[in-house]
This record gives sequence, structure tokens and C-alpha cells, in this order.
Amino acid sequence: MSMIIGRREMPAPTVYPETKPFWDAAAEGRLLVKRCDDCGEHHHYPRAACPFCGSERTQWRQASGQGTIYSFSVMRRADVPYVMAYVTLDEGPTMMSNIVDADADAIRVGQRVAVRFQTTEGGPPLPVFAPA
Amino acid sequence: MATGTAPRNYGPAPDVPFELPYAPTTVNMYAMAAMRHMHEHGTTSEQLAWIRVAASHHAQHNPHAMVRDVVTVKDVVGSPMIADPLHRLDCCVISDGGGALVVVRPEIARTLKRPVVKVLGTGEFVRTQSGGKVDLLTTGAAWTGKAAFAEAGVKPTDIQYASIYDSFTITVLLTLEDLGFCAKGAGGRFVSDGNLISGTGRLPFNTDGGGLCNNHPGNRGGMTKVVEAVRQLRGEAHPLVQVPDCRLALAHGTGGSLGTRHGSATLILERE
Repeated sequence: MSMIIGRREMPAPTVYPETKPFWDAAAEGRLLVKRCDDCGEHHHYPRAACPFCGSERTQWRQASGQGTIYSFSVMRRADVPYVMAYVTLDEGPTMMSNIVDADADAIRVGQRVAVRFQTTEGGPPLPVFAPA
Repeated sequence: MATGTAPRNYGPAPDVPFELPYAPTTVNMYAMAAMRHMHEHGTTSEQLAWIRVAASHHAQHNPHAMVRDVVTVKDVVGSPMIADPLHRLDCCVISDGGGALVVVRPEIARTLKRPVVKVLGTGEFVRTQSGGKVDLLTTGAAWTGKAAFAEAGVKPTDIQYASIYDSFTITVLLTLEDLGFCAKGAGGRFVSDGNLISGTGRLPFNTDGGGLCNNHPGNRGGMTKVVEAVRQLRGEAHPLVQVPDCRLALAHGTGGSLGTRHGSATLILERE
């Protein structure tokens, strides 16, 4: 049994000034994460101030785009089935995303994945992940 | 699509652009917690199913329950998959409904011709994704339980009845672990073999049938939990699910989503 998950139409994310660099980079096919210069921790979703120590000395860093599936769920009761997931980036933070270009029945927790970019309806592309 | 399977928009919060386009729904957010629990602790769909089975055993005695059919583990795991690994019967009903509590001063309570129930301990907590340090297996109950038990001066093993918010079977399993009724990871074994069924199990839970079978008024699932706990303490639950001489009960509510952000509240109640 297999259920191939392709791409679906995705709504555009709302772009706020604080997170505009993230979406600008996505348009160039690059995944950014925020890192704090004071405590050294990466975080996601990106904020102006570090959520761990409160420092405003946070910088955008380009992520490797490699990660591991922390958990997932195949949404079978949708018009177009899709795979919801949390992916732990090699840099540390775990981010919500979708798994694409995969056989839904072969996806596993702990599986290695790599970032892809999915076009949205009138907005910047979204980072999604496919089996590495 | 129904409430549970439609993408859920929490409004103009800063995290929403990083979530909503991926189509988080109520059910797939809880499903990810279940999937992770299975991965880390070897929990099975059959173990989760026991939670629904226990709720159905209670609901058969509640004439107001939305679903009164007694189900088996096989029925639950054989029901259609909604969002892996949660089946239809792992999910609560969706209903209208509500409730009310009257809280009065002790001197007024003593003039009423009803058994008096008092609050021994409380706890509240807000749980987030913690800046990307996501841990779907630790709910707010890990904090609210400690606070409520400390204030009440009692232990989980002292509790005779528990109302546990049950949007999904996994919600109950995680909450029981976090409140300290069993060790983290041992929830699957704890809920199995009818251990939550009143009269036979060690911890009778949701004797009205809970959200899984009785009712689940949107965003008010916690209210009905307190109502049934008070009924148990007053000895006013259905005779076939009433816990004998119930003096100490717990009620726990979860609001929001275990997969993103949620609030948790625990009450420990005692009959005077």
C-alpha cells in the first residue's frame, strides 16, 4: 500500500516587518534561522528578541536545510491528503512544516529530510521538507 | 470539514504565519503527540483505544450522552483513520452544551441542604513551543499537577475519581502521566485492561462518558469535567458508575492545542 503525497496549493503566509528577511530568503530558496549572539541558542519561529535570554542581539543565519522528523501525521480526512510534521533542524530548533514528495505510508519519526520550497497563492514560498 | 479537521486559525498572533499555511487542524496536532509517544515509549493504538472503551462503558448509563454504544478495542482500532495514528473513535464528539458552577462562602455552603465540596488545591499553566524546543510529550499538566497536589497536601494515589479533559484518547494518556498517576511513558499500560472503568479499574475517570462519548461543547470542555467531579463527591453520579464513598477527586482541563499552545488547569476537590 502506498499513498504518494505531492504538492498542494498553500495559502500565503502573512509577512510582518520583523520576519520579512525570512520570507525574502525563502524567495531565493534559502532557509534562515535566528541565533542569539548572547546565549548562542538558535530559535524558531524567528523573533527580534531571543525567547531564551531576552537579548535583542539576534542574527539571521542560513540553515543547512537538513533535519530530522520529530513527529508527523498523515491528514487522511482532507480533500487533498497532506502530511503535517515537526522537523528538528540540524541547527537545533524544531519547526512546523509539511512533508512532500513522499510515500505517506513510508514516513517515519526520525527520518532524515531536506528543505524544499513550495509556492503559495500570491505570497512568498514556504519551506517544506522531503525525504533526504 | 468539521471543527476538528479544518485548519484552525488563532488570529494575528506572530506564530500564525509559520503555522497556518501548513494546515494545522485540531486532530493532526494531537495526532503528532500520539505519534511521538508511540515512537519514544512504544505505546500502541490498542492501548489508546482502552481510554475510549472505558468512556463508552460509562456513557451507556448516561441517558443524555451523545454516543451510548459500548465499544471494544477492536471497534476503536477498526474505525476509519482520521489523522495517523488517531482513528475516528479516538476523537471526541462535537456538541452544543454548557454548565455552571456556584461557588459560595463556607458559611453559606453550610446552610444549603447539599453535601459541601471544597477546593483543596489548584494549578494553572500556559504551554508553548518554547522557541523551537518542541516537546509534545510534556503538557501543562506537568506543572499544574505539582502545584495542585502540593497545595492540597495529597498524592495521586489518594485520588478516588478523576475527570480528565478528553478531546482525544492521547489527551487523557499524556495528562495522566503528567499529573503523576503513572510514570512518563507508562500511560499505555496504565490505561489498559479497563483500569479507568468505574467499579473495576484503579482510577475511575469521566463517569459521565466524557468528551469522547457524552458531550464536547466547543472550548468549554473543562466545565463538564468539574460538574461530574462534583457529582461524584456528592454521591449524585449514576449508581452504576458512582465511586463508593468518594471524598477526594481531581478535575483537569486543557484548552488550545497540545501540538502548538495550550492552557492547563487542575482542581483537587474534597467533600467535607
